[in-house]
Amino acid sequence: MIDPQLLLSGVIFGLSMGSIFFLMAIGLSLCFGLMRIISLDQLLYYAIGAYLTYTVSLLVGNVWIGVLAGVLVSGLTAYLIERFVFLRIYARDITFSMITSFGILIGGIGVIKAIWGLVPRPVPVPIEAQLDIFGTEIPIYRLVVIVIALMVYGGIWLFLNKTIIGKAIRAGIEDVEHVEGLGINVYRLFTVTFVIAGAMSGLAGGLNAPLIMVDPNMGLEILAFVFMVVIIGGLGSIKGTFISAFLVGQVVSIGSLIYAPLAQMAPFAIMLLILLVKPTGLYGSTMMKR
Amino acid sequence: MNVLRWWSGLLVAFALLILLRIFLPLPFNNEIIIFSVYVIGCNFLLGRVGFISFGQPAYLAVGAYGTAFYLYYFGTNPYVGILIGILSGIVVSLIVGPLFVRLRSDYFALVNMALAVIIFFLMQKVLADITFGDNGLWFLTNVDSTPILDLTRPDQFYIFAFLAAFAVWAFYKYLDDSIFGACCLATKMNDDKVRFLGYNNFHIRLAAFVIANTTTALAGSLYAVYLGFVSPEMTSPARTADPVVVTILGGVGTLFGPIVGSVAYTGMKDLISKYFGNWELVIGILLVFIMLAGEKGIWGSLEPLIKRWVFRQREAEKPAAADAGVKSR
Repeated sequence: MIDPQLLLSGVIFGLSMGSIFFLMAIGLSLCFGLMRIISLDQLLYYAIGAYLTYTVSLLVGNVWIGVLAGVLVSGLTAYLIERFVFLRIYARDITFSMITSFGILIGGIGVIKAIWGLVPRPVPVPIEAQLDIFGTEIPIYRLVVIVIALMVYGGIWLFLNKTIIGKAIRAGIEDVEHVEGLGINVYRLFTVTFVIAGAMSGLAGGLNAPLIMVDPNMGLEILAFVFMVVIIGGLGSIKGTFISAFLVGQVVSIGSLIYAPLAQMAPFAIMLLILLVKPTGLYGSTMMKR
Repeated sequence: MNVLRWWSGLLVAFALLILLRIFLPLPFNNEIIIFSVYVIGCNFLLGRVGFISFGQPAYLAVGAYGTAFYLYYFGTNPYVGILIGILSGIVVSLIVGPLFVRLRSDYFALVNMALAVIIFFLMQKVLADITFGDNGLWFLTNVDSTPILDLTRPDQFYIFAFLAAFAVWAFYKYLDDSIFGACCLATKMNDDKVRFLGYNNFHIRLAAFVIANTTTALAGSLYAVYLGFVSPEMTSPARTADPVVVTILGGVGTLFGPIVGSVAYTGMKDLISKYFGNWELVIGILLVFIMLAGEKGIWGSLEPLIKRWVFRQREAEKPAAADAGVKSR
């Protein structure tokens, strides 16, 4: 059986990985829920967040300011891309948004390669200290990542349930045309949602930067896991995304303790099982837009 | 008359490819032919069935590794290798097909893309003992030379790949005109009505899925025999969109689209990486512009022009023929 100390650190590792997945997947999920687009370019904002964290933390010397800069710049990039590209394709079929956003992702990776080069970059861990729980050394930074993800979930819950814009977004997820009929400018809602999604992806990139090496294809490396999280949770559901992100994180982390190569395959098997039982994911809506 | 018309279209296409053989270097031609076989399957799925498939490299890798395992571990005959590649494509798509074709188009795209990434991990890490991970399998020296159409020689491989592509193309032409093709298009348009007409949606989609992915597996085994080497790189996440990009570039749902698209894409990639280096940037921006401009692609926007030109020619001939008919009576 697995050593309990190893298991505890495995669980913490899985939770922190799940936090990153959640921050990434929430953007995809929100964009699908409200605008009915599949926005693969979230993976670009993730890479932008990570690279900004690298550069700014190198200049200023503080990783947290770097993360903040990453969030701001990826939010700004998301705003510009939404204004110039996505505004023109909202009305079209869902496959268009998928291909267009893939074009943006590939083009953006090209830009990143042109600016920062191909070499992977290291980012220092902001909190080096370790916490001692039952004789197991837990890096505090991973706990901080988990707490930030929980705070983001709480913040988004508050935003969607307590503010008027959030309520409009939630109504839009149910039925966009009725919201438009109430005299609300839905395209402004779309912009707000897209920028929030982009900023969340940037935050995920910035937080994940100290844990991994920052390289141009980092978005494509995490792609499979983010997809699995979104599919298992159900496109458009925030609660489903939250649950499935931590599920996938745990499966990857504990699976790698049992048999390392299995870790990448196990979430896929779970995804297939869930789709067999429920083709729309755990909390996915059965609504279908043609 | 109808038969004559599509044979003439076919002749034009292949006369073009023979011209390519004369004027362009051989490796580039082989690349184009294999790539167009690769893209035809994706084109069929996207244009006829309405499935956007970002997971096509998965089936490419299945075909390639089927052939590679045979040629590396068991036998030496490349033709048997290609047959095994096709068979493994059929088997894998029959296994995953029933799960995948039940899904909505958007879920299908995501799940298929995830499959491509999973096969990448499978070949790179999990099965590293038999696939040798990133180093790949090298079996060029294992391949026997056969008496007719020796596949180890690039010039004779070109003829074989050409014939294979021709057969695939004619098969898809036949499918497009058949009732099955019409059923596929109908499931894309309105699957409830197809059900009312007494067809089984699931079976239609499954058959289309298996056919398209088997074609892709054939392209994979052609790659394996041509290069004599297979590595997980062909299904890496960065390349999952290649067939979709080429399909859109060429024109979705058209028969010549894949060929035009592969010529344009392969040529562009070669030229850009030669003179500019950063091909991802250019392809990405180009893709966004093509999507913003419309959905027709290169062949899709050329086709009406060509048709109008041909039509005008015919109009000019017609009155003369009618006059002749009157006179003889």
